[in-house]
Amino acid sequence: MSDAVQSLSRFLPELILMGALAVVIVADLFTQRRPLKSSTDLLNGIALVGLLGALVTSWQALGAGEAQPLFASMLADDGLLGVFRPIFCLTSIVVLLLGMRSKELEGVRLGEMLALLLTVTAALMWMAGSVNLVMIYLSLETVSVASYLMVGYLSSDRLSNEASLKYILFGAVSTGAMLFGLSLLYGMTGTLDLYGVRAALAEGAFGPGLLFVLILIAAGIGFKIAAAPFHFWCPDVYTGAPTPVTAFLSVGPKAAGFAVLIRFFYLGMAEPAGGGAIAPVGGADWQMLLMMLAVITMTLGNVAALLQTNVKRLLAYSSIAHAGTMLMAACVLSVDGVQAIAAYLAIYLFMNLGAFAVVILAHRVTGSFEIDSYAGFWKRSPLLTVAMGIFLFSLMGIPPFAGFLAKWYVFAAVINAGLGWLAVIGVLNAAVAAFYYVKVLRVMVIDQETGPTPALAFSRLDLALLVVLVVPNVLGLLFWGSLDRVTEVSQTLLELG
Amino acid sequence: MIPLEHYLYISAALFSLGVFGVLTRRNAVNVLMSIELIFNSANINLVAFSRFVEGALGGQVFALLVIVIAACEAAVALAIVMSLYRVVKHVNLDDAAELKG
Amino acid sequence: MESMASAAIFYGVAALVLGSALYVVVGRNLVHSAFALVAAFFGVAVFYVYLGADFLAGAQVLIYVGGILTLLLFGVMLTNRIYNLNLRSGAIQVVPGALSAGLVFALLVWIIQSVDWGAMDAGDPGPTSESIGRLLVGDYLLPFEIASVLLLIALMGAAMLVRRRGSRS
Repeated sequence: MSDAVQSLSRFLPELILMGALAVVIVADLFTQRRPLKSSTDLLNGIALVGLLGALVTSWQALGAGEAQPLFASMLADDGLLGVFRPIFCLTSIVVLLLGMRSKELEGVRLGEMLALLLTVTAALMWMAGSVNLVMIYLSLETVSVASYLMVGYLSSDRLSNEASLKYILFGAVSTGAMLFGLSLLYGMTGTLDLYGVRAALAEGAFGPGLLFVLILIAAGIGFKIAAAPFHFWCPDVYTGAPTPVTAFLSVGPKAAGFAVLIRFFYLGMAEPAGGGAIAPVGGADWQMLLMMLAVITMTLGNVAALLQTNVKRLLAYSSIAHAGTMLMAACVLSVDGVQAIAAYLAIYLFMNLGAFAVVILAHRVTGSFEIDSYAGFWKRSPLLTVAMGIFLFSLMGIPPFAGFLAKWYVFAAVINAGLGWLAVIGVLNAAVAAFYYVKVLRVMVIDQETGPTPALAFSRLDLALLVVLVVPNVLGLLFWGSLDRVTEVSQTLLELG
Repeated sequence: MIPLEHYLYISAALFSLGVFGVLTRRNAVNVLMSIELIFNSANINLVAFSRFVEGALGGQVFALLVIVIAACEAAVALAIVMSLYRVVKHVNLDDAAELKG
Repeated sequence: MESMASAAIFYGVAALVLGSALYVVVGRNLVHSAFALVAAFFGVAVFYVYLGADFLAGAQVLIYVGGILTLLLFGVMLTNRIYNLNLRSGAIQVVPGALSAGLVFALLVWIIQSVDWGAMDAGDPGPTSESIGRLLVGDYLLPFEIASVLLLIALMGAAMLVRRRGSRS
């Protein structure tokens, strides 16, 4: 019991989120009769305060204090969790602001949506901290169930419902396969604790049998990060979900999926080999498995993105491709790969959410998600076009934008690990990606709109949001040093021996 | 006494049947039933290993939580099915074009 | 003699579980499939009894048979016309489906045979509810709390979905 009480002091961000969840639910009940606008503003305010509180406390906790296990070794409070917590909070804050400006969510009571957003933010933190098979599965399912509900939030909308149904069926199958894999792993090792699993695997070789189990488990993790061949849900769900939810799914669960991936493979399936490197245990070559996933995911994501005409589908495939790039870093088998993934996600957060912010603002005036509807945007709103250009160049990885830095981390880690061929495939993919990002820009700048072209007006909130998202992308290189220092913390994974 | 392997064979068969159902069924509720079979097969594994390998109750607690999660997922999935049904019913059920696109 | 009878019952139940599971995945009638699922769930509860997991067997009957199945039946009956509601992707022909499922089964059998599980029978653990209860508020306190959060949002969300909400069209 005293262990639980002690753990609570290291659990502040999650506690704040749960507190805000309770307040939002109660406030939602008491404001049912109030006009929609005032109740929505109140609820948004409560959720925002909760998320900001979680952001501040998780930032303070970052790198402070020794890494230690929490709640009877269910969670590890270490550098990896420390770096991921602020990423989740920032994502949710931006998504909340996007939700306030989204035309799709206008006139809809947002109480449940905000409750889901707060829950899922806390659940992402639980995912990133899990060092026990029960916790990995339970937190992953909590994130999933909340995501299904967020996708189907517009319950009178056919697309939203269809997307949600597809998502839950595909998700339940993937997590079911993962659960079966976890149960076999439990049988092989006789323990649910990730460190115990590693110790048991180090004693005996399980070989191909273990590899099959790992493929089953990779199905669940691959579903969360939208890695091929577990990505089939992704384009349809991204298209059907309310756009702020799509923006959230493309960053939050993906980031948490990578945290679980690192913990499961780097802590549970490998032991330290000195100098920050790790060596797989149990006789299963999971590095090869991850490399195959990375190559398939990148290539499929980029090639399929070339064919898209809907901007949400395009961003869906682009997010699959980015997952492939980050998977390359997971093949490195040293803490460099962990830092590369953390740095990539920190930057990806701003560039991808930025692109979605432009999509949401454009939808307010065009009412469409087709790329063709962006024709003539350069004349209608140079500001929005420039912002989109910055986000897309950043996603391409072109200097001096922050996306270049993200790519640099990944490729440096991959090349240092002697995986030159993988880096070559990655560079080829980045070249392909440039085509579809530029295609969007070409439509915005060169193509002429046929109908009337009223200039676009934006509220102060829109401008503030765009500035907040643009600045990190433009000035990324200036903050290289601080980014390096912060993400370096992620290399301290909790070692219990 | 039934040996551990026999439980595992049964659970493997149940899992494979669930996979078969997921792959071949086209009805959402039916896919959901197949998924429940997969969850049950994993639970048999967990409980069997809990007794024969770990010799403690960790696997049973895991299985208990899995049952809770399965209940949540079933509730949410059926709510989505109902909600979709209500929307589609009003649109025109025979017009499956949008559903397929 | 008694162990013979017990083994016979076990294999009988196993046949029942697999038979009804087969009906669930090939049957043409949704309601019949749902009732076949009841039989499968009951059989699994019997396995739990054989494994000495008395509390779990009770939970299986209460939650699966009493809760999840009732939900499924409600779902089937309230949306009777949903028969026509087909999923776009994922469904494939029976023969490739059977082949993949067969392949998965063969792989699993091979794994079960090749891995040394180090099986030892820990014996009948006796009544488990007290120990499980202590674990849930001890070592597994956090998962227990997270499960309660999950239940809260699942209930809230399911209620929300069935109410009418905004549409984009």
